[in-house]
Order: sequence, then structure tokens, then C-alpha cells
Amino acid sequence: MNFKEIAKRAETGPLMEGNDFLMQRVAANVLALKKEYDVKWDGKTLVNLDDGLADRCWEAGKELILRSGLFSMNSRRVIQFTKDEIEDTLNNLPGKVNMGEGKEFTTVYHRGVEDPRPPFVMSGPFNADTHENMFIKLNEAFAQEQIIDCLFLPGYLKELDGLMIRPNSGLSSRAAVLYGEWAREAVRRAGRPGMAIIGHSVMALNEIACTNEAFGLRKTDPRAMVLLSELQVDDVTMGRLGYYLAYGTPIYMAHTPLVGGYGGGPDGTAIIAVASFIASIMLNSEICHIGPQHIKYKTQTNNHSLFLGSLANQAANRNSKIITTTSHTTAGRAGSDQYAYEFAALELAVVTGGSSISGPRPAEPLGFNNVSPLMGRLFAEVGHAAAKLSREQAAGIVEKLYEKYKDTMTLETAPKGLPFEQLYDTGKLVPTTEHKACYDRVKEELAHLGVPFAY
Amino acid sequence: MSEEVVFKKMQDAIANYDTDAAVAAAKEAVDSGIDPAVALDKGFASTIREIGEAFERMDIFLPELVMAANAMKAGVEVLENALKAKGTAVEKKGVVVLGTVEGDIHDIGKTVVGAMLSANGYEVHDLGVEVPSPRFIQAAQETHANVIALSALLSTTMLYQRDVLEMLRNKGLQEEFFVIVGGAPVTQKWADEIGANAYARDAIEAVRVLDAHAKEWTK
Repeated sequence: MNFKEIAKRAETGPLMEGNDFLMQRVAANVLALKKEYDVKWDGKTLVNLDDGLADRCWEAGKELILRSGLFSMNSRRVIQFTKDEIEDTLNNLPGKVNMGEGKEFTTVYHRGVEDPRPPFVMSGPFNADTHENMFIKLNEAFAQEQIIDCLFLPGYLKELDGLMIRPNSGLSSRAAVLYGEWAREAVRRAGRPGMAIIGHSVMALNEIACTNEAFGLRKTDPRAMVLLSELQVDDVTMGRLGYYLAYGTPIYMAHTPLVGGYGGGPDGTAIIAVASFIASIMLNSEICHIGPQHIKYKTQTNNHSLFLGSLANQAANRNSKIITTTSHTTAGRAGSDQYAYEFAALELAVVTGGSSISGPRPAEPLGFNNVSPLMGRLFAEVGHAAAKLSREQAAGIVEKLYEKYKDTMTLETAPKGLPFEQLYDTGKLVPTTEHKACYDRVKEELAHLGVPFAY
Repeated sequence: MSEEVVFKKMQDAIANYDTDAAVAAAKEAVDSGIDPAVALDKGFASTIREIGEAFERMDIFLPELVMAANAMKAGVEVLENALKAKGTAVEKKGVVVLGTVEGDIHDIGKTVVGAMLSANGYEVHDLGVEVPSPRFIQAAQETHANVIALSALLSTTMLYQRDVLEMLRNKGLQEEFFVIVGGAPVTQKWADEIGANAYARDAIEAVRVLDAHAKEWTK
């Protein structure tokens, strides 16, 4: 839908309180639609194998966005869509989007369920707090992994010149400029100057200052933005969206449905996820990211979120050409074996459902730079291998992996991990012997469980 | 009508998330001459605790928790008015001023904390989202709060938690209020760094932490 029309509806739609929108339009409708379409989790399944359930979840989600609309938080008005508008948008999706430049020019395609083509791999610091002194090196180490298709969210610059950065301040504008410059410099140093960078420096509206064709983020770099839970959008996102659509960058729209929230359990939340996928394409998103939050675990690798990711992706990818991707946040932290068990389990659950992959990152990093480019490589390798599996084959491996970490999947009990500078020789930008041994050990174990690595 | 029957009506109202029924049952308790403090304890308190526990186990979800907390709030108001008329007040664990800090529009986490605290006997004043730092202090003074609870969901908005603490110190009010911080990027280390009294990872922990520190914030 044309942004002009969306912006207009955000000013003219029905006026209501935010809580009323969530309780009356979202929660009440999800409850009704769950029954109407018989969308129910059996309490055990981690990877959905039921096509009928996926299709019913799709229909329920489509009905939800029609009934609820999208709430503009600042104007307190509901952006409503008609059935024809939704169908028209779905029927005209291109199913592909281009990004990057030169030798790194690439096309991301919609994937179907059990699609043998590898997922598009988006990996990087993933908005983990990144120290200014390590920003370029950390991103360079990710970009030098050739199997990673694009650099994903080069990191929160939480501080600059020893000061915490306040959103919308002069300092945040400067940080946004440096974010663009340093991310570009990192991919240049890695020998991939045209590599696409999915950017989101989280400096509120000032983030658009990262845009600069010469030394920052370009027209060919997607910009990430987030719908708020559930089915809500704020003025900062609308402002960025309007600017980036006019500028011509691909849009990467994330949503973070809350398991245990207004959708209830993983089944109801999957209906919200489908509605959010559709809301994202109505806002002109080319890549639609699901990153479920969990009211208890905070991670995306718990049993509820594994099923939700699997079901929602299958629903969207069986019934539309929406390009979906799934974020991977874990309880275990970079440097631990559990980190890899967790992201591998989720990858197997969602890649077989047609999703591309974004991540990984610990849900609760313990300090700056708590991510690992080497684990980015393993993440990509597992993603490629998962595309060779059926859902049934993947489900068996997911069960085994889940058993390995389920007793330590709270943030308190999960391994603490190490920061990048202790996992890598930051001069040579190579992993330490110990970290490489962790990679070898886990990869061998995953292969033993049936993950069909290329080598 | 026996007291037990009235208490059962009050319990059912909360268990069914029915605000109108909670108000009606509370009025019935008052009209029947039941001590409002006893009615609160026997009619509402145990059921709302059970609701909180069911939420913790994920047997019920956020809409039910919010509806139960709303029903409880409406019923308690009736009992409060009756107590006020008698010149006394409802006994509460404590008064909490809660909100998401300036520049941050994330609502749900804070709403869950508010609902869980309400369900556990706290009087909660939810200031909403994007709350300017001075407003927390002003509201805490106006409501005679014991606790200020600050939520921040972004790394970039956490610094406003620091600012509230700094303002309290500048005004010499740091001993007046117990400040608890939380939100996705917030850690115990950050809480210590900015001088907050406590940190809670989630709503369930917020209740536990405040209960455990009761001696500090009721002093």
C-alpha cells in the first residue's frame, strides 16, 4: 500500500486507547480465532508437521489483521486495511528483493516449506552492545566469513567518547554517522565493499543520519525497523519508514510477538505472528523478521518459541510469497557449546519452514561485544545444512538438541560465555585455539546428530 | 447472607476476571456489614494470589492477568471507600509508582510488572510510557509511594533510569523511595552502577525482590 495512504490512515483511523486496542482488538480476537480456526498446540510438538494447522493459522492471522488493524501508538488511531487491499498486496508480492553492490550484489528469494535452496544468512553483532573501540574489528570479523550473505545490525553504540548516548541528542546523531562509516569501513577491510549491511543503529529518528552513499549506509542496504508488540507502530518507525521508502532502500520489518502475552500461548501468538507478517508487507516491507519474545524465558529457543517459529513460518511460506526470516536469540552466550545447540535447534525448526535466518545473539549479553563471528560461520553452515532436511528429519534432531539445553535455558542458569576480545585474537582477527575447538566440537556433534554439513 | 457466601462471590468475580461482579460483591460485603479489611483478605487476596501463581506457571496469560488485576482494583476501591468512611484504610503491602522511562514507548513489560504487583497486594500507579524523569518523583511524592519502578527496554534509554536516581540524590530524596529498575538491557551491574536499590529481571522477580526488601522500603 502506498505510504501516503498509510500515513493518512494513521491520522484519520478510529481513535482508541492503547490498552483497549490490545485487549479488545487483539486479545479478544485471537481467542475467538483460535477456536474458529482450531489453531491449537498439543503442548509437546517442537516442529510442526501438520500442513492443515499451518494453513488454518494463516487464515486466522489474515482474519486477525483485518479485524484488528495496526495501531498507531502516538496518534492512538487504528490503521485499518480492507480484505481487498490485503489480498491485492499478497497477490502482487515479487517474492524477491535485491541488495548489495558490485560483486556483493545479491538477491534474496522467498523460500517455500522444505525448500532445498539455502536460507539467506544475515549475521553480525545483531544490535548487541558493541564498544566503539571494537566496532570495526568485530564487524570485519563477521564480514570476512564468506558464507555470511549480509552484515546484520552492526551493533548498539551505547557509548561514545565515554558518554552514554541519549536518543535524539546531538551525540546520537554523531553516533549514527559513525555507525554508518564504521560498518562500511568494516566490510571494506574484509574485502567486501559492496556487502549489504542491514542497519538499525537504534538512535531513534536520528538513525537516518547513518545514510551516506560515499561512506555510510547506501540505498542498497536494507534498513531494519520494528513493529511493537502487538500490532503497533510508533511515530519514529513511521518517520523512518517514510524517509527510507522515499530514498529507495529495501525495508526489513521485524515483529516481536510475546509468548504468554496478548496472544496467550504459542498457538495464539502464532496467529499474531502471521498478522504481523501481513502488517509488515502492508507497510511495504520486503523482508519480514519474526523475533518472538517470551514472557518467562526471554529467549527464542525455548519449546514454545521453537513451535511458534516453526508454525508461523510454515503458515506464511505455504500461503504467500512473503520473504520471512527468523531471529535467533539464545540463553547460552557466545563461547559456550550451548549457544550453538540453541541456535542450531531453532534453525532446523524454521529453515525447513521456509525461513531465512538472522542472528545469532545471546538474549542477555553480559557486557559489550558478547557475540562471535566464528559462531556466525557455524550459524550459516547449520542454516545451509538444514535446507537439505525435511521437517520430520529436522524435528528429530531438534528434540535431541532441546534435551541438551532445556535444563539450563534460563538466563540465570545458561553459560555466561565470553566477549569477542577473549574469543578472538583481535590483532589477526582469528579465533583463539579454545574457541576454534568449541566450534569443531559442536560441529562434529551436530553432524553426528544428523545435520548434513557440506564439509 | 453468610459471610462465606459473599467471600465466594468475591473470589469467583476475580477468578472469572469480572470487574462488574467484583464491584457488586464488594458492595454486598460492605452492605452486609462485613469488615472491609476482612473482606479484602478473605474475598480478594487469596484468589488474586492464585491468579499470579497461575500466570507464573503460564497456565493463564497476560489478558487474564490484566483483567483479574482490573477487577481486583475496582473491587478494592469499593472497600477502600467504606474504610475511609470509617476513618481507616486498606492495608497494602506498599505503594509503587511505575513507568517506562523517557524516550521509550515499550509498554507490555511494564504492564506485566504492574499487574503482577497488583495481584500481590501492592497499590500500583502506572504512569505509562515515555515518562519524563521528574514526573516519577512528582508522582511518588503525590501518592506517598514507597517504591519507584523504572522500566527501560532500550540500551539507549537506560540512561534515564540513571537520571531519576541522580535527581533523587540532588533533591536529597534518595532515602525516601526504594528504586527498582528493570527491562531487557538492564542488569544488576547497571543497577549497582547507578545506585538503584534493586534490580528485577522480570515481573515475577519484581514481586519477590520487593517482598524480600520490605524492611528497606517500609522504614
